Parts: sequence; C-alpha cells; structure tokens
Amino acid sequence: MTTSLHPPRRASRWRSLDAREARLAWLLILPTALIVFGLVLFPAVFSIWISFRDVGLGNLHDVFHAPSVGLGNYASVFRDFAFKFQNLGNMGAAVNSIVYSFAATILTVVVGLIAALLLNRPFRGRGLSRALFLFPYVTPIVSVAFVWRWILDPRPSGVLNDILMRLHLIDAPNAYLATRGLALLIVIIFEAWRYFPFAMLMILARLQAIDKTLYEAAEVDGAHTWMKFRAVTIPELRYVLGAIFLLRLIWTFNKFDDIFLLTGGGFGTNVLPVLTYQFSFKSFDFGKGAAAAMILLVILIVFLVVYAMTVMKNVDET
Amino acid sequence: MSQSTAARARGGERMNFIEHLARWITWPRFIFALVMLFFLTSILFPFYWMVSSSFKTYAEIGGRTAVYVPGALRWDAYRELFDPNFGARFWNFGVNIMNSVKVAVPTALIAMILSVLGAYAVARLQFRGKSLMLNGILAIYLFPGILLIIPLFAMLAQIGAKLGFDVQDNLPVLILTYLAQTLPVALYMLANYFRTIPTEIEQAGLIDGCTRLDVIWRITLPLSVPALISVGIYTFMIAWNEFLYALVFLNSRNMFTMPIQINTIFNDPSPRPHVVMAASTIMSVPILMLFLGMERYLAEGLAAGGVKG
Repeated sequence: MTTSLHPPRRASRWRSLDAREARLAWLLILPTALIVFGLVLFPAVFSIWISFRDVGLGNLHDVFHAPSVGLGNYASVFRDFAFKFQNLGNMGAAVNSIVYSFAATILTVVVGLIAALLLNRPFRGRGLSRALFLFPYVTPIVSVAFVWRWILDPRPSGVLNDILMRLHLIDAPNAYLATRGLALLIVIIFEAWRYFPFAMLMILARLQAIDKTLYEAAEVDGAHTWMKFRAVTIPELRYVLGAIFLLRLIWTFNKFDDIFLLTGGGFGTNVLPVLTYQFSFKSFDFGKGAAAAMILLVILIVFLVVYAMTVMKNVDET
Repeated sequence: MSQSTAARARGGERMNFIEHLARWITWPRFIFALVMLFFLTSILFPFYWMVSSSFKTYAEIGGRTAVYVPGALRWDAYRELFDPNFGARFWNFGVNIMNSVKVAVPTALIAMILSVLGAYAVARLQFRGKSLMLNGILAIYLFPGILLIIPLFAMLAQIGAKLGFDVQDNLPVLILTYLAQTLPVALYMLANYFRTIPTEIEQAGLIDGCTRLDVIWRITLPLSVPALISVGIYTFMIAWNEFLYALVFLNSRNMFTMPIQINTIFNDPSPRPHVVMAASTIMSVPILMLFLGMERYLAEGLAAGGVKG
C-alpha cells in the first residue's frame, strides 16, 4: 500500500517506460478500435434510438429529427402477422427463428460429430477427404444456395424431381421450397449440410488430443467400441460440443443470407433477420425494422449470457 | 484349350477377388464405407451439378427431364456472361468480377496491416483497458449484421450528405463496412499467433537498439508469414462472399459485386439456371482450389472462426 503511494525513484522510471509502451499500444490499436467501435458499437446504440422513431425513406437523410413514436414500432411488430405465432402451420418469424436455429444447430453438431469420427480413423485418402469435406462450408453462400435451388427446381428438369419420378416415388414434380413445412425442413437440412464442417474441424482437433491411454485402460477393462465411445469419447468431447452448439446457435440465429437466398422468407420459413430486412428495405419502415432487430437482439443476449456463464467461465478455468 | 485355361484363370481370379473382399469386409468396415459414400455423394454431387449445368444449353436446362451429362461442352452460359455480341442478353459479368476484386483485395490488405499493429499491442504490450477492449471486439463478432445495417445506412447517409459523397454505389464505403466485419477476427487470430513467438527474440532486438516498430517489421512479421497468409485469405474470402451489405449498399448493375449480380441473374423473369451456375462456378472455383491446395494451413484458421457464420 505505502509503496504504491510513495514509489521509489527507480520504480517511477519504469513506470514512465510503461506509460510510453501503453501510449504506443493505444496508438497501434487505435485504427482498429475506431473502425470497429464507430461502425459497430455506435450503430448498435443508434439502432435502439431508431427503434423508437418514425423513420422512412423521406426522412432517412435527416434521421436525427425523426419524430418519436414511443413503443409504436414495437407494438406494430408484435401485431404483424409475419411476426406473431398463430398456429403450428404458421408460426411467425419469432417462433420460427427459435425452432429453426435450434433444430439446425443440433443437426449440424450431430452430422459434424459423425464426420469427425469418420475422419479420425486412418485410411488411404484421408487428407483429400478432409479437404473435400470442407467444401460446403468454404464455398460462397450465393453459389451453394442457388445450386440447391436448382437441384430442388420445381420443373421436371430439376434433378431431385427427375430422380424421384424415375423411381416412381412421385407422379408429378414438386415445388419443394414452396411447400409449407417441407420448406422449413429443407432449410434446416441445408444448414446442417453447409455448416457441419465447422463442427467437424473443432471436434476432430479435440478427438486427436484425447489421451490414448484412456482407451487402452478401457480395453483392459473389457470395453467394446460402443462402450469406449460412451465412456471415454463423449465425456472428453462434452466441453467442445457445448461450445460449438452455442456458437453455431448464435450464428444461425443471426443468419440472413441462407434463408433469404433459399426461400426469400416465404412458405413458413421467415425468420427475424429476414423480417427485419423486409420491414426496412421492402416496406421502407426503418423504425419498425429496427424494432424487429431489437427483439432479435434481446433473444440473442439471452443466448450470449448463457454462453458467457458456461463456455467463457470454463475457458478461464483452464 | 489355351483360351479355356485363360478363362478359368480369370474366373479363379474373380473368385479370389470376391473371397478377398468377403474376408476384408467386416461390419465396422462396411458401415464406414457406407457412411463415407453417403457423405462424399451429398457433398460432391451439388458441385458436380453446378459445374456440369454451367456447360448445358438453354434447351438442356429447360427440358422434360434432367440432363445428367451435358451433350457437349457448350459455352453458351459463359458467352451470355462475357460476350457482348451473344444474343439479347449480356450480363457484363467481367465488370462484376472486377468489382469483387476491387472490394476484396483492399479489404484483405488494409485488414492485415491494421490487425498486425493491433494484434501486436494486444499480444505484447500492457495497457489499461486491454481486456475490456479485447472482449468488446470479440463480443462484436457475435453481433448480427442485420441489426447494424439500418443505423449504419442512416449514419453513413448523414455523413455522406455532409462530406459530399454518396453512400450507395460507393465501393470504398463498402470496404469500410467489411473492415469492421473482418478486423475482429483478424486481430484475434494474429494475436494468438504472436503469443506463440518467444519474447526472447524480440527482447534481443530491443536491446540491440531497435524500436518497437522495428521489432514488428524485422522480427515479428518474418516469423508470422503463415499466419499472415491465412488471415489475408480469410479476410479476402469474407469480402468476396459477402451478400447482405452489398445488397443494401449497391444499386446499379455496373457497381454490383459478383454475389449481387448472381442474385439478379437468378431473379430474371425467364429462368436461366445455366448462367447462374456458370457465374457461381467462376466465383467458387478460386476459393475451392485454394482450400484443396492449402487445406492443412487453412483448416486451423477455420476452426478458430476464420469464416464467421
């Protein structure tokens, strides 16, 4: 205590060097901080303000004088038929978002786990297979979304229709992405197809770090493949599976491109990000759009709090 | 006589092969092969379909059945994209490719320079508020892009009106928003890498009278080339693939980046999947080649969240 109040001379010289280092550090990080905070943090706060105002195309260039509407935008979002839950066939964007992101995330993690187990055993061509398995994840979203739309094309020249008709499973071509229920299911499967490589890579890294002696010990105890998997692999993976699940859940929940490109949010697949876009850039009601985005953010914050309480706490411990 | 022995020998070989196969196949191996086949088909078929469809003609695309192998390598779709003399439709896709390059290359270069400086400060220097700033930058990584686009649009429109530039159809503005998206992850990946370089080497440099910037330039950077390359590739990819911001900020066709132009071709009143597939092939092939060749170096960055989303 006393030493810090009356530091000896030598310490103060060090402190001035520290201060110089700190100044340099701030200088080095300043451009990044300015861009990130100016273009992310400030807009985020600003968007709260917009959500209480009436902002349309007319006063977009004079947004600071936009008239206040109180909670009007929120009320109008909650009343909107595209937003609110009506029945199971017509769930609205809010419930849809949650169903879609949970289902897609669970499926992504499961498929990623299977793929990781597949690539964890040695075989010829493993390196090439691993590179090929990354393809769905690294290809631009526009390309893969439109390839799938073309595969699922409602015309007889759509390849899925063609295959199913040749197998006599269907009589006439179907419009898969324009069928309620089926469209949502396809979008969920698409998410798993596209994002499983991310889960796979993280699980693979963890699998390869598992201590081999654990398996040997289990074998000595007479464990078979399935028992080894349950007693050794799954407990060792528990933490990484939880981390992937939450990260993917948040990213899927935020995702705009995939659903916008696959269905445009139609046929029971509308989610909050797409709804926000429609309010803002189709009906040009920016206040209502901001309000929808705020509702999205509140749900996201719940996810983030859970994430911070579980995953980040574990990171600190290790 | 000799013919029949040959036939028998061949038959014997076949027997051996089947026997061999039967002995080789166990239940785990069979299941492994089956699951592997399922994965490879469902991954590779869409890519085959993309490339092969790009070589089909309009007649093959809109026929009564699907065409599995195009009759010949038809360049119709590519000519529609690039050849101004080809029919009534000409998409001038070369301009869109150039726009994508004009956005992605500066984004990658600027993000690399700024994140090297920032990451060095985070990894090596002590300053107050460091952890707060780092956590802030990382938390932003989890933010939805759609939330930011409305205020960003309004904000930049105001600033643009004051300073006399247009927000729409302005590629530098787009680059600025891409920097905000790529800098957090670039900073995070580089800082992690810098921490693995032993401090003793840098201290030797400092004792020899180098300044901190000298140390970064002469010692840290040459040691970080692999990390720099992978950060460069990831930031390039994020800008190359980006859809939402480009959709909102770009209005005229000759300013469109590739994703927006492909979306426009797809939404054309007369459907032309072969042209969409040709454009998608052009956009995807460079990225896929990169990953096929450098998978070992790039996979690690992917697991670290190199491509958000």
